[in-house]
Amino acid sequence: MAGGPPIETASLSKTYDKTVDALVDLDLRVDAGEVFGYLGPNGAGKSTTIRLLLGLIRPTGGTATSFGVDTWRRPVEAHRRVGYLPGDLRLSDKLTGEEQLESLARLRGGVDDRLRSELCERLGVVLDRPIRQLSKGNRQKLGIVQAFMHRPDLVVLDEPTTGLDPLLQNEVRTLIRETARDGRSVFLSSHSLDEVQHVADRVGIIRSGRLTDVDSVERLRERSLRHVTITFGEPVDAAAFAGVDGVRVVNADHAVLRLTAPEPAMDALVKAAAAHRVVDFVSQPADLEEIFLELYREPDDGR
Amino acid sequence: MTAAELFRRGLRDHRRALAAWCLGVAGYVALVAAIFPSIHGSPEFERLAENYPEVLKSFFGIGEGGGLATGVGFVDIELFSLMLPLLVLVLAVGSGARAFAGEEDAGRLELVLAYPVRRRYTVLAKGLAVAVEVLAVSLAAGLALVLFDPIVGLDLPGARLAAALGTLAGLGILFGWLALAVGAALGSRALAIGVPAALGAGGYLVNGLHGLAGWLDPFRVLSPFWLVGSSPLQTGVRGWGFLVVLLLAALVLGAGSLLVERRDLRTP
Repeated sequence: MAGGPPIETASLSKTYDKTVDALVDLDLRVDAGEVFGYLGPNGAGKSTTIRLLLGLIRPTGGTATSFGVDTWRRPVEAHRRVGYLPGDLRLSDKLTGEEQLESLARLRGGVDDRLRSELCERLGVVLDRPIRQLSKGNRQKLGIVQAFMHRPDLVVLDEPTTGLDPLLQNEVRTLIRETARDGRSVFLSSHSLDEVQHVADRVGIIRSGRLTDVDSVERLRERSLRHVTITFGEPVDAAAFAGVDGVRVVNADHAVLRLTAPEPAMDALVKAAAAHRVVDFVSQPADLEEIFLELYREPDDGR
Repeated sequence: MTAAELFRRGLRDHRRALAAWCLGVAGYVALVAAIFPSIHGSPEFERLAENYPEVLKSFFGIGEGGGLATGVGFVDIELFSLMLPLLVLVLAVGSGARAFAGEEDAGRLELVLAYPVRRRYTVLAKGLAVAVEVLAVSLAAGLALVLFDPIVGLDLPGARLAAALGTLAGLGILFGWLALAVGAALGSRALAIGVPAALGAGGYLVNGLHGLAGWLDPFRVLSPFWLVGSSPLQTGVRGWGFLVVLLLAALVLGAGSLLVERRDLRTP
């Protein structure tokens, strides 16, 4: 077992055509047994990071290592311990699912057949039909099986649950948690906080090629804002709510009050609302784009 | 060596098309051979060919030896001077361009190259698959000739026919590997087809015209078609030229397999 953490990057950068900064000075470390969620809107640099971690593209600055092995200079060594699900999975359309997995297993130099069939069974993979006849979800399942089938020490998944129904999304999350319990690691990219918050230990947020924040999921949720809409029985004074720590009044229209509030402020907010007659109380998590904006506004508010 | 799987897959994915190519080429050869008896018996054809413009005679190697009325001349002119190299090159370039640049375009290398296989061995394994395809089609053409020879009386010398088929395969491998290497080095399917097509057409023109246009004569050594010899059954193949072609092919494939490790893999 070569030394070094499953993923470690130092000032990792990628600039396309000398002008487009797809990734800027990424310093990141993922430890053994950790599930790391890599969040960002489309085009933020998630796939660029992943392709650098796999040695598919060459860094224009810095290094990416996997278990201490430079992924660009010694890709074969690095690939042995890694399983990868591409964001845009393309398989050999003419092969059946079975043939495709057989072929990939041989390309690995042989894998444990038992684990492979166990994975296929768990996910309900369609094995006997040509891949071109399979739905997007069924192809995705094949991609997930091949990423896990050699029991890799690191699994890199680029938007793994796209095209899967909720039941299967759940199964994939279980698979990810099991992997971490074995002391192995998972690097998981997504554009939705919802997809990673139940499975990741830590979350990194990338925006325009820059890692803006790395935090535990709990802390991130604490910091993320809720949209709260309270409908009262009679018009109320909005100023009373603006006094609660972290709460901003977005709009006050007679008896309907729209606010944004961080999670720790919810208790005080509810109690303040309880002083009046409440007709309805709706609290929704802000979507990721808003969390980004919020994190930008207050890069580190020390909470 | 896990790259062997890529060789296997390269052939398997293309097995139906390859079978069709072999049948098609063998069928074409058989059809041409079947015409021979009717030409063999009539001196008019010989005179007709003699009256062709010099350019045509130069291109097809008419007057290099026996002429259309002899079996060797007929097969040289009708098959080895244009149609067989053309067919083999189309197969080879298509297959070479598809093997890497085509797969990359389709996004299928993203997964394969994340497996523990060096990119250079990926290119070499695919090169081997292209070579096997070229050899199979050349062999199909040869088999058709050998089967029809006794029926139509071509009377082809065995050793020269074998050498002619060898050079045919050599040309196919050179241009097929060029397509593969350009695709691997640059990641562009258009260039992987365009570069060998342009060089093939240029080489063919130089070989066909160098005798007529004096200024072209010094450049004839640049044409792979000249190097192997363009009337292989009548005048024999140029042994050293054939070796040069094989060496070039190996160099081109080697360069492609090294350059592919220096560039970014493209996304579709």
